[in-house]
Amino acid sequence: MANELVSVRGVTLGYGSRVILKNLNFTIERSDFMGVMGPNGSGKTTLLKALLGLLTPIGGTIEMTPHNGVPLRVGYVTQRERLDSHFPLSALEVAVMGRFGMIGAMRRPRSEDYAIARGCLRRVGMEPRAALPYRELSGGQQQRVLIARALAGEPDLLLLDEPTNGMDLEAERAIMELLLDLQSEKSTTIVFVTHLLSAIEHFARRVALITRDGTVVIGAKEEMLAPDNIARAYAAQES
Amino acid sequence: MMELLTVPFMRHTLIAGILVALGLAPLSVYVVLRRIVFVGAAVAEISSAGVALAVLFQIEPFAVALVLTVLTFLGFSRAADSPRLPLEALIGMLYAGGSAAAVLLIVKAPRGEGEILNVLFGNILTVPVPLLWAMVATFAIVGALQYFASKEFLISAYDPDMARALGINVNLWNTIFYVALGFAVAIAIRGVGALLTFTLLVAPGAAALCFVRGLGSAFVVATAMGLIATVAGVFASYWLDFPTGPAIVAILAAIFALSYGYAAIRGS
Repeated sequence: MANELVSVRGVTLGYGSRVILKNLNFTIERSDFMGVMGPNGSGKTTLLKALLGLLTPIGGTIEMTPHNGVPLRVGYVTQRERLDSHFPLSALEVAVMGRFGMIGAMRRPRSEDYAIARGCLRRVGMEPRAALPYRELSGGQQQRVLIARALAGEPDLLLLDEPTNGMDLEAERAIMELLLDLQSEKSTTIVFVTHLLSAIEHFARRVALITRDGTVVIGAKEEMLAPDNIARAYAAQES
Repeated sequence: MMELLTVPFMRHTLIAGILVALGLAPLSVYVVLRRIVFVGAAVAEISSAGVALAVLFQIEPFAVALVLTVLTFLGFSRAADSPRLPLEALIGMLYAGGSAAAVLLIVKAPRGEGEILNVLFGNILTVPVPLLWAMVATFAIVGALQYFASKEFLISAYDPDMARALGINVNLWNTIFYVALGFAVAIAIRGVGALLTFTLLVAPGAAALCFVRGLGSAFVVATAMGLIATVAGVFASYWLDFPTGPAIVAILAAIFALSYGYAAIRGS
């Protein structure tokens, strides 16, 4: 219990009357490194939105355990394709957005916010490119900037939506190794959503497998990647 | 140059032009980035229909136009969130509906057409002093809001999911943005007309975004371009005997064309 960071009890998720995921029961432990996988349209992003507090469960509860009496801070790494490339923002300007939730309303980021954001860019190896336009960076570099942005909010829990989507294997490995380093450095709990088996297979410690019937099964990677479990999640897609 | 400043109505024209440029040019950066360029055109038509309606029923035109403008922008802020309908379909229908309503109402209005057209479309050469003060107050508030709420406006437009995850109330800040835009547009249309308002709401931001490398510089460059075009347009109209509003619009269009051409040649 003491290690429990997030507790999901009897949660049903959906939009309006449409149920996407039902009767979810699982916990996320401190220092977890968990991959969430499932077929396209199975509800991976829905689950992520619920953990972020962007989607209110139809039923059940999601409890975030405060850290040292302070409400849990959740960092979010969005899918980079969803960000509009017309915005002329530097890597540093993108990274400092992670601080916006910690600055009061109608207040502008201060020099210390920029210093923290710059430090986070350093942690992900992007400080030399801090002044470059974000849109001119490669996919892998953009992903690092988005991770730095989430880190700038000093999160206890880091949630990533398809962090290696559209990358080649080398870039995917670099990003996942970066996440592992960050996790071991500060024991940040990391949950990432992906449809790529390779990212789960090589890097996740625990796996949440979303099946086509809207349930979630969680366990150790070796157990969850057993052929019968994978077949259970993906075979229904064919029917 | 000094000669122009000794003519009282030209002085007012210059001040009105500078005020709308200062008020609308920074907003144009967000109007372009939020992809709501034609909202300005549609809102101008709705505002016109409101003025015609007010004239027909002999009530204060500006109040009706202001309410309709703000309500229309608020409607757009909700429509942007709708998964059912692309925003441009709504913009197109409001533009067409607003234009038709304005024409139909003008036909039935008890005042002369010329007078109504002046109320409807404004005229930068005839901006009264009280309206200049109203512009100062409105644009100062809108400008201050843009400066102090820059992080809320930015993240609500750029990454609403991230904003919500950070505890920022995206709906609230979008509403504040659209209400501020509504006030700025309503008062600008009343003062300098729909065409110049629409152009100042698009051209400076679009031109600046062609070559700036940072958002902060986009606001500065857009404002500078708006000011230069407005002042140059007022002087050009005085010396060359052109109508002032279209002269400013033509200079803004030329600035945009040069910026766009520069960006195209540079390959960005």
